Amino acid sequence: MEILNKIFIAPFADMVAAPDFLMQVLWEGLVSGVLYALIALGFVLIYRSSRIFNFAQGIMVVFAALTLVGLHEMGVPAWISVALTLAVMFGLAVTIERVVLRPLVGQPDLILFMATIGITLFLIGLGEIVFGGANKVMITSELGIPTGDLVLEPFGGLLILQHIDITAVIVAALLVIALLLFLNRTRMGRAIRALGDDHQAALSVGISLQTVWVLVWFIAGIIALVTGIAWGSRAGVSFALEVIAYKALPVLMLGGLESITGAIIGGLMIGMLEKMFEIYWGGPLLGGNTESWFAYVLALVVLLFRPQGLFGEKIIERV
Amino acid sequence: MKTWQELAMATAVGLVLGGAALAEGIYTPNLAYRTGPFAATGTPIMDGQKDYMALLNARDGGIGGVAINFEECETGYSTEKGVECYERTKADAVVTQPWSTGITLQVLPKTNVDKIPILAPGYGFSPMSDGAVFQWAFNPPASYWDGASMILNEISGGDPASLKGKKIVLLHLDHPFGKEPIPLLETMAKEYGFDLVLVPVGLKEMQNQSAQWLQIRRERPDFVIMWGWGAMNAAAINEAVKTKYPMDQFVGVWWAGHDADLKQVGEAGKGYRSISWSMPQPDAPIMADLKQYVYDKGNSTAEDPDSVFYQRGLVISMMLAEGIRTAQQHFDVGEITPEQLRWGLENLDISDERLAELGMTGMVPPFKTSCDNHTGHSGGWMLEWDGTRFVQSSDLLQADASFIRPLEVKAAEEYAAENQPWPINEDCK
Repeated sequence: MEILNKIFIAPFADMVAAPDFLMQVLWEGLVSGVLYALIALGFVLIYRSSRIFNFAQGIMVVFAALTLVGLHEMGVPAWISVALTLAVMFGLAVTIERVVLRPLVGQPDLILFMATIGITLFLIGLGEIVFGGANKVMITSELGIPTGDLVLEPFGGLLILQHIDITAVIVAALLVIALLLFLNRTRMGRAIRALGDDHQAALSVGISLQTVWVLVWFIAGIIALVTGIAWGSRAGVSFALEVIAYKALPVLMLGGLESITGAIIGGLMIGMLEKMFEIYWGGPLLGGNTESWFAYVLALVVLLFRPQGLFGEKIIERV
Repeated sequence: MKTWQELAMATAVGLVLGGAALAEGIYTPNLAYRTGPFAATGTPIMDGQKDYMALLNARDGGIGGVAINFEECETGYSTEKGVECYERTKADAVVTQPWSTGITLQVLPKTNVDKIPILAPGYGFSPMSDGAVFQWAFNPPASYWDGASMILNEISGGDPASLKGKKIVLLHLDHPFGKEPIPLLETMAKEYGFDLVLVPVGLKEMQNQSAQWLQIRRERPDFVIMWGWGAMNAAAINEAVKTKYPMDQFVGVWWAGHDADLKQVGEAGKGYRSISWSMPQPDAPIMADLKQYVYDKGNSTAEDPDSVFYQRGLVISMMLAEGIRTAQQHFDVGEITPEQLRWGLENLDISDERLAELGMTGMVPPFKTSCDNHTGHSGGWMLEWDGTRFVQSSDLLQADASFIRPLEVKAAEEYAAENQPWPINEDCK
């Protein structure tokens, strides 16, 4: 009986008894979800245009954040550091396309995936040589990002909204809108989508594979920088940030590898549901730390019914 | 073809000569981690360890006239890689320094067979203190159970009975290291009547602890004790600031007292405390020697030599060096064997006088090891973040030995029983 109470009654009673706390849980879940969605977007963009599962997305987050902080430590003003970091990420995109991807055109997907593992290892080594392994402070206030908090008292309770979290949500939302506009309204955006839909057909009408690849890797670099700033301001900038990227895997499984909408909805769903589960069920029933596996179980359940994910395209193989 | 043969021959000769070079001196490998999610906290400690050995080599020509061959094997804090490093280095090593509780637990049974001492200062399995059961393992100068006991003594004002009815959260890494204090805290909770709430943090969730801190907010604990490492610490301190948890009720183990982690929050972290068996002493004579023989020669990668973790690295290598020196003097040899080093580590006498001779007064409390006491139980100080760095905030604290010793003996017996056949050193009994 006790266990039934813990599953079906106590959590909902808690939610009703402390609605302000429920709002805090949902807010924290939303913030995490937005950041998961951002990382997943980086994967989706590259996969859509090249069918490459980019294992290096996580280390790109670290590399972008370290470059930004490292440049500022060298005395470069904050916003110029941002511009220079974007230039570095563009250079990285060009280098990856020229040195790694171009020679591998036409190779099986697995080879390209392995190549991104190689890129990851290279960037880890390069990052450690250039920036060292120490935990660095993100230049949050130097970038003009507000660092205080907004304290509300809904239902006579307490709800704390960090300015930095509000900023992260707004910036992520703007980035997603800009990305959707770019993909749907511009010539280059349509070229990216065309490549994702049908490689051969896109090439036959003159779309440049090289240009599109550089562009998507650069956009993934921009996303990595925004993600790095958002996560880095929470716990500092170090190689531990790379681990965060693994959180995008269940998001991709849930939302579908090709779908931008899937990445966003999947990220938000996982962020909010895992937080709710941990607080109201995982902690009391299972001793906590359910966030380590909850997202994967959720994604597996979805895959049982929709192998292509919630928003992925159904694959029909003609034989 | 001839060219290839010459190349192969040259490589073979090179390998032989390289091997010979490697075998020179006393080989003390360190299973380090300067990469991966724990690099930020591992790097300064590894720098301190390396620099101390470099100083001995440059200033004194090694220890007892024999050079120290100090080499790192990178594990990235991965238990699997750590075991690989142990296997790769054990043939020539006089010691293994596993550098994670997970790796320590894996190599613990192997060292009985390979007869190599494990040196795990301030980490590893707390019952390793029982030298009769763990003949080859050493965790001076204090164990995790010592740390937990000292923290409880401090937050209770020296009277753990006053914790009755209080609620204490243990925020811990969900990893063998983070779980290490749980048996002691559970026993003490039963004994003194406080409520212990365990809040684990997964390795992949270290930087995203909002759920854990929401739980802490709901529990409203009187104290939060943190058993954190790597990126977990900085994130936890950030979340504590964010949720407005009182910093003077938040105390960490010695691995959760890294300057760089607290610099993330600066002034907002004022009042956070960490128990520590080492204390930075920027004006200690050894720091001047390091400057002269190591830093000024461009042989150091240390970024902040006055930091808690860097100076703890110095103390850790000092303990190993003293073990080597003790063994050399006792056996009247230069090059020592692992078995001789085991004796040296078992007979450490780090007195105030010896610390003064080493130029390290105040960097670690004095302690002694023995056949049945492989820890030394030095005690420790509480360090407090003043907004810019850690400062001493207590006199020397001691763990409750009467409470811990029976638990150590019991846990060691259980470990030996579960891992039969397990050799026991009857001479220590």
